[in-house]
Amino acid sequence: MNNEWLNDLRNKMEDHTEDVPDGLWNDISNELFGEDNAKNVVGFSDLKAQENAVKMNYKTLLYRIGGVAAAIAMFFIGGKLLDFNGKKEPSEQPKYSSHQAKTGSGKKVSHQESPVEKEKEAVENYFNERNDLSIINSNISHVFNKNIFVNPLNKTKNSETNLWRNPVLEGEKANQEGNLFNQNQNLAQGQNGNTIEEKEGTEEIENYELLTKEEREWKEKFKEAEKTKLAKNQPKKWMLGVVTGNASSNSSEQYPGYATLNGTTLSLPEIWGMNYGEDPLMAILIANQDKKVDAKIKHKTPITFGASVYYSLSRRWGIGTGINYTRLSAELTTGSNSDFISSEQNIHYVGIPVQVNYNVIEKGAFTGYVTGGTVIEKAVSGDIKTKYTVDGVIKEETKEEISEKPVQVSVNGAVGLQLKVIKNIGIYAEPGVSYHFNDNSSLNTVYKEKPLNFNLKFGIRVLLD
Amino acid sequence: MKENNEQILVNRLLKKEEAAWKELFGAYSGSLTYVCSRYIIDKEDVHDVLQNSFVQMFRSIESFEYRGSGSLRAWITKIVVNESLKHIKQNPDLKTVSGDFEIPDEQNEEEGPNLEEISQHTIMKMIRSLPEGYRTVFNLYVFEQKSHKEIAEIMGIAENSSASQLHRGKALLAQKIKEYKMSKAAQYE
Repeated sequence: MNNEWLNDLRNKMEDHTEDVPDGLWNDISNELFGEDNAKNVVGFSDLKAQENAVKMNYKTLLYRIGGVAAAIAMFFIGGKLLDFNGKKEPSEQPKYSSHQAKTGSGKKVSHQESPVEKEKEAVENYFNERNDLSIINSNISHVFNKNIFVNPLNKTKNSETNLWRNPVLEGEKANQEGNLFNQNQNLAQGQNGNTIEEKEGTEEIENYELLTKEEREWKEKFKEAEKTKLAKNQPKKWMLGVVTGNASSNSSEQYPGYATLNGTTLSLPEIWGMNYGEDPLMAILIANQDKKVDAKIKHKTPITFGASVYYSLSRRWGIGTGINYTRLSAELTTGSNSDFISSEQNIHYVGIPVQVNYNVIEKGAFTGYVTGGTVIEKAVSGDIKTKYTVDGVIKEETKEEISEKPVQVSVNGAVGLQLKVIKNIGIYAEPGVSYHFNDNSSLNTVYKEKPLNFNLKFGIRVLLD
Repeated sequence: MKENNEQILVNRLLKKEEAAWKELFGAYSGSLTYVCSRYIIDKEDVHDVLQNSFVQMFRSIESFEYRGSGSLRAWITKIVVNESLKHIKQNPDLKTVSGDFEIPDEQNEEEGPNLEEISQHTIMKMIRSLPEGYRTVFNLYVFEQKSHKEIAEIMGIAENSSASQLHRGKALLAQKIKEYKMSKAAQYE
């Protein structure tokens, strides 16, 4: 058999064409000419670009979902930005916070005006010390609350913003103050200021936690929004993933005086009302009356895991969303060495991340990428376990549910390396930075203490064709 | 000296005009998809390889030298072939049975198969149905007109291995054509 027929074959096929893959030009033009926009989106610098992306065609349901996610993320982001601006102008917020603090204290005082004045005197000193701190805390928490609430509201519904702020703030105050204060009332009557301080302190703690969560969520959402925008242009692949990770941000703090994790830690009030002499808090306070007391808060490293869906818009761009769970826990020890209150706070968050990925390099099975986004997390449950130790003996243990369920928004950025294990499955490692916005709650979390933290995430991604 | 359309397009491509690149794409994407599809079977992969190829063209258009009509097409085709080979090397098709295909021994026919009355589409399907190793060598030899020495270098195989793979690929394709013709003839009877 000679090879002449091969020449015929070549000549015959010379002008043959095949159908061009769908969307190829879009991908190419995106990659060659669309990078500026993309970069802007990644850098968070150009919200307009994101908006445009969001406005793109909603061809499929998936697109729609992506668009909605992007829109939500944008709202949140916008709100955060607004918040940031607001923070830069502290004058307004401080005023609010002081107002709130005052109102809160007023309420508390009125509640507290019942009995228990006697015992209050003994504790007053401590409380007074605390008051200053607590007031400061309350201001902070108020500011946070305002920011957080205001932002979401603005994003979602401007009209409701005012309503939201007030109810939320009042609600939080009322709840926390009510519970704590009521409990504390007996003690606090004389110590009204003191009780207020405590409550405020707890509020702050809660706020911290909430903020951090929100920040994370924000970040992820932001990423997702970016991804969705990009995805709208050209849908290619979906990825499912499982993520786990921990932030490197455990921390401990120490300051003088008593403190509470959430406003409710010093849940003495009930006990007090029943039997003052037996109340462990009172006992502790009395025992430490002339000792140097301090409070130590230790935040444990947050634990996160979740599942994610990844959708690649083009060879380089992809968006992802998903759901994740985070547990924040903190330990508070306050008092002196022998007489102290120790509390353990656990808060559970469920979050939705929105991430945008940009593949920088692909080398064989390895893909290097940068990712950015936002995560919105909502506290779903939380509790505080408190132990009262008097003279080295645990006198009482209490457990309280945290009624406050703040939303925590965060933004994040990371570089990642993914290794394709088999065709559709990759494992990845992602060192990154995240910033958690203040959630305006009274919860004290690691995210409030250290809003900016570094973390390392590991996960598995499943690519869905 | 008057420039022809190809040169004008090249000059615009050099300026990285989006419209010019779109024009290039419009003019050649069908043909390039064919070239790529000879090597790559998976549609998604074809998409990716073509996308990479255009990016590669975009980045290296400065190095393109105009050598007469058709040289632009030859250049971009070469890029697509290179990208396709790159993809094949990075993603060896593990599913391909590299082993023994029943290759008819009686290759004694003096003449190769007659290609008349067979559509390009059908031939394309046959080429794409060849096992990957045969197909790559076959494509390089027949369509890119590479020598076995060049093919051996490109694919990192021995020269005689290239020759034997070509032989098998050729025989397999000839057999397919023959079977196709017979089945078609059977239809008419």
